[in-house]
Amino acid sequence: MALNKDDQKQYHIQVAPGEVGRYVFLPGDPGRCEPIAQFFDEPRLVAKNREYETWTGYLDGEMVSVTSTGIGCPSAAIAMEELVKVGSDTFVRVGTSGSMQPHIKPGDLGVIHAAIRDEGTTSHYLPIEFPAVADIDITRALAVGARSLGKTVHVGISQSKDSFFGQHEPGRMPVASRLQERWKAWMAGGAICSEMEAAGLFIVASTLGVRAGGIMMILGHPDQSPMTEAEWKAGAVENVLPSAIAGMREIIRADREAAAQ
Amino acid sequence: MSEVVEHLRVKKGDVGRYVLLPGDPGRCAPIAALFDNPRHVSTNREYVIYTGELNGVPVSVVSTGIGCPSTAIAVEELLKVGSDTFIRVGTSGSIQHDTPSGQLAVVTAAIRDEGTTSQYLPMEFPAVASPQVVDALVKASKTTGAMVRLGVTQSKDSFYGEVEPERMPMAQMLADRWKAWREGGAICSEMEAAALFIISSIHGARAGGVMHMMGVGPDADPERKYLLSTAVEALRVLIEQDKENASWP
Repeated sequence: MALNKDDQKQYHIQVAPGEVGRYVFLPGDPGRCEPIAQFFDEPRLVAKNREYETWTGYLDGEMVSVTSTGIGCPSAAIAMEELVKVGSDTFVRVGTSGSMQPHIKPGDLGVIHAAIRDEGTTSHYLPIEFPAVADIDITRALAVGARSLGKTVHVGISQSKDSFFGQHEPGRMPVASRLQERWKAWMAGGAICSEMEAAGLFIVASTLGVRAGGIMMILGHPDQSPMTEAEWKAGAVENVLPSAIAGMREIIRADREAAAQ
Repeated sequence: MSEVVEHLRVKKGDVGRYVLLPGDPGRCAPIAALFDNPRHVSTNREYVIYTGELNGVPVSVVSTGIGCPSTAIAVEELLKVGSDTFIRVGTSGSIQHDTPSGQLAVVTAAIRDEGTTSQYLPMEFPAVASPQVVDALVKASKTTGAMVRLGVTQSKDSFYGEVEPERMPMAQMLADRWKAWREGGAICSEMEAAALFIISSIHGARAGGVMHMMGVGPDADPERKYLLSTAVEALRVLIEQDKENASWP
């Protein structure tokens, strides 16, 4: 494609075909790539450009990768588009999110099966009426993996927003009342957590015919009240990584079982 | 005594926790014939209700009429009288070109191409089925031998806007959007799922849908045997899971 100076490497992620696995973890933060890659066999750094850092290794003998998306749907959509071009087709978003229900506590995990399209990227793909929905096989595997480690898991809908501070400090925004009213509506609709990339990943995956899901550490409280020290500790992002790995192993296992049939 | 709801004309105890929702009132009696001990409960407007049993547990079938406006009323009133698990069952058009007629769509989520649900939640909110119900329908199809395909449905308000778009003043918009739904991977087109899913999300109820798709070739299931048996079998799966208090998955 015209954008690429060298037709092997993708323009933004700087990854060529063969350098990443079919199975990819998608954290937001580039700083989380290396800790995730430490769970792989034979991890190696593949590329680093802008907010995109990619590592590749193996899980249960299967080639897997981790690529950071950066914050927000604009950069997440680019990451997924380019990863699909180089051969990936199964994506697990992993990261942190804010609680949207009083009974969902810091340290609980959220498995996202659909997302509120409260962002600007996905309207460039499909009209807003189209649901941003995860692949059910990925959703099931992520919940099974996390529960196998004894985690409290909530399967539900996330709010994918564009403005971090519009969620955390809505009162200071010129559109405060609209933000507050919509937040209440999302809660009343049963949304479980708030993050910034799932809608972009799910809609792009639907248009490209690939599979995506997400597993999130839950932090915070729906009324934005401060967390205690114990809650910060329970909600540390490191605590979601073993569940994400267990979920990916379950996806690989189920794919092998289906292929054998 | 609990109150009789306005449109469905039933009260608590008249319907089961588990409900099948066809659009057509004429399909209620044939579905009820698959229950144990079916009895007619009420008929008012487009709402026909039968209650019976499956695996020893009360279940009902309630017609919604065509479209999200009347479906929303049916679901709201069923929630008021104690139902919390819904499977929409009916016929749909296919969106992908390779769909054989008679293949069943197990609906995972719905395009909110209708006017009812924006009176509940902003349009950005996804109309999504309960994964537990989706899984129960897939499991049921393995028992009944039905051909199934998982995916998104378009829930529209205008039947003739789908089947005769070229004669509508908004022909180009309808054609462009139909193409977008297809390229987004949507598999079928019907008129009620979005309302069922959005209202169920708000109430923490479980909902899903199974649709007979009209596609290419002769209809593999003109009598809807696979459709109805798969929907009934999925209720049995959910009833047994609930007896064991099993959380999904």
